[in-house]
Amino acid sequence: MELFFNPFDNLVCILLGISFTVWFTMLLVFIIVPAIFGVSFGIRRLYMKTLLKVFEWATLRIERGAKEKNHHLYKPYSNAIIAKEPTSLEQEINEIRRSGSNRDLDSAPEFEMSDIFYFARRGVESIMDDEVTKRFSAEELESWNLLTRSNNNFHYISLRLTVLWGLGLLIRYGFLLPLRVTLAFTGVGLLVFLTCVIGLLPNGRMKNYLSEKVHLMCYRICVRALTAIITYHDSENKPKNGGLCVANHTSPIDVIILASDGCYAMVGQIHGGLMGVIQRSMVKACPHIWFERSEVKDRHLVAKRLSDHIEDKTKLPILIFPEGTCINNTSVMMFKKGSFEIGATVYPVAIKYDPRFGDAFWNSSKFGMVNYLLCMMSSWAIVCSVWYLPPMSREEGEDAVQFANRVKAAIARQGGLVDLLWDGGLKRGKVKDTFKEEQQKLYSKMLVGTQEDRSRS
Amino acid sequence: MGALQSLHGRPEYLDLAEKTGFSFEQIRVLHERFKQLSHNEETLRRSHFNEIPDLACNPIRAQIIEAFFDRRNYHQNGEGTVEEIGFEEFLVVMSHFRPPSLHMTEEQRENVRREKLRFVFNMHDTDNDGTITLEEYRHVVEELLSRSGALEKETAKSIADAAMLEVASISMGHMEPDEFYEGITFEHFLKLLDGFEIESRMNIRFLNMDTSTLCK
Repeated sequence: MELFFNPFDNLVCILLGISFTVWFTMLLVFIIVPAIFGVSFGIRRLYMKTLLKVFEWATLRIERGAKEKNHHLYKPYSNAIIAKEPTSLEQEINEIRRSGSNRDLDSAPEFEMSDIFYFARRGVESIMDDEVTKRFSAEELESWNLLTRSNNNFHYISLRLTVLWGLGLLIRYGFLLPLRVTLAFTGVGLLVFLTCVIGLLPNGRMKNYLSEKVHLMCYRICVRALTAIITYHDSENKPKNGGLCVANHTSPIDVIILASDGCYAMVGQIHGGLMGVIQRSMVKACPHIWFERSEVKDRHLVAKRLSDHIEDKTKLPILIFPEGTCINNTSVMMFKKGSFEIGATVYPVAIKYDPRFGDAFWNSSKFGMVNYLLCMMSSWAIVCSVWYLPPMSREEGEDAVQFANRVKAAIARQGGLVDLLWDGGLKRGKVKDTFKEEQQKLYSKMLVGTQEDRSRS
Repeated sequence: MGALQSLHGRPEYLDLAEKTGFSFEQIRVLHERFKQLSHNEETLRRSHFNEIPDLACNPIRAQIIEAFFDRRNYHQNGEGTVEEIGFEEFLVVMSHFRPPSLHMTEEQRENVRREKLRFVFNMHDTDNDGTITLEEYRHVVEELLSRSGALEKETAKSIADAAMLEVASISMGHMEPDEFYEGITFEHFLKLLDGFEIESRMNIRFLNMDTSTLCK
């Protein structure tokens, strides 16, 4: 038999073996063990600070490059692009009428041809810029964070910047992405396995305690899998058993962020595939609320299951996202009133992502879930702040809708988001005709009013 | 998701700027808006407009949306309607609401006024015969008034009729009993709205748009 192991191959094998061992040891020591115990070495924060400095430098280079070529750089206007008149319908129509110089206001007919200008202008204004449509696409950034996906312009990138960008690409896809994918698989795998194991234990304090520990540990590994750097504020207001935790929704990652700091009972629809496997094994360890697809439409059933869960004080607080869909984290949209009707104490939570490091918004009409996760795992980091707000309950004489709006306003205020009354469902559906009728009513009342005035005089 | 952009790669904006009178910055912003509304497709359809919640509140939204698909508004002497529009047509229709520039001669001002009034005229004249008949006028009035009960149908009808009579008496003077009033032509329309200052009423002001000069 020939010796086909020459010394060179031997060396390579040894080196590979050593590097793998080192790699896994480091992984274990720096990431998994802290995740189990819930401590942190502070590596991620250091990483974040370094990144910020690099981004600032990159932005300065681009601006300098543009100035050298004497071109003007345009920063995106993410707020209003047109000035909307704050005058009301009546005021404006009267102004138009008055401007008709040869008309005397008293003898003006009930309907003026010029009234239409107001509505035409308002209509075109809405087409140019409205508050709602822009909430459903990702926020635009002021500085460049070295990700191709947030920069359309390669004209001003100097050689140095290109090198830096290339290096960044290498680091993100060559080092960070595989690391994160490994961690993600580890986290999810451990979750499924350990919860199944715990499910075999008899119900009791031991089971609850273990289930808590396991859930927290696995979510923490997932948090590290995304390199999420989270700052929790006001932890004394954390949700307690028998309560309802309510938060604004930007992406599916919200769940991981909240669940790595506390234990919640999740609510949702049962899916097939990997998601379904995870859901089924989670519910073995502690009671989550999963619905079949057919049950989701039945509002009474949903409400009943939620309130049953709430009444049992040994069960964990329920985590719910009342907006019903992902919004791009610049505003908070209408909360669906269903969860506010069941009469539990509500613990509002505000989540705000820092867009400089990676855009966490999931535009489900543009990207599928896998694509989205890959995007997340190849960004620099996910940086966000979580505020736990003091608990709220429904007051006397307040109905569910008013209560929901009060909670929404508190969340918007804390997170620095715009508070909107519009329904997040508008992402996919149309506005009801009742809104159009409101404007019509207003205008008709004005006309009829004029008629009455005239008949009196 | 454009962070820092320049106009270096956009020669087609020059063409559009000349045609519509918007500045480069305004064109860029409106192009972003176009892409947002059309979900990054090349053309806009009526269904895209129907998705704007604010517009749904407007009583004459159907007419406004039609105005975008009406070829008379494209300044090319075309007629009829189209099913979908590109960015150029979008911009041309929007330019009817462009704020007036500061240095305009009397003639230019008159032209701008005629353009804006022509736009509103086209909105009324749906069958494109050059006149606004009683039926067409009444239709617009009814759209503006409420059909949900604040005004009764009879009242709405009488308001529309009264308005039409008023218009007829002004433009035709005294009518013989068996004379048939065909409708308001564009010239009559201009005369009717002679005193009204619409230049400021029918334009939309952009915020913070400093039209900076590019290198020549």
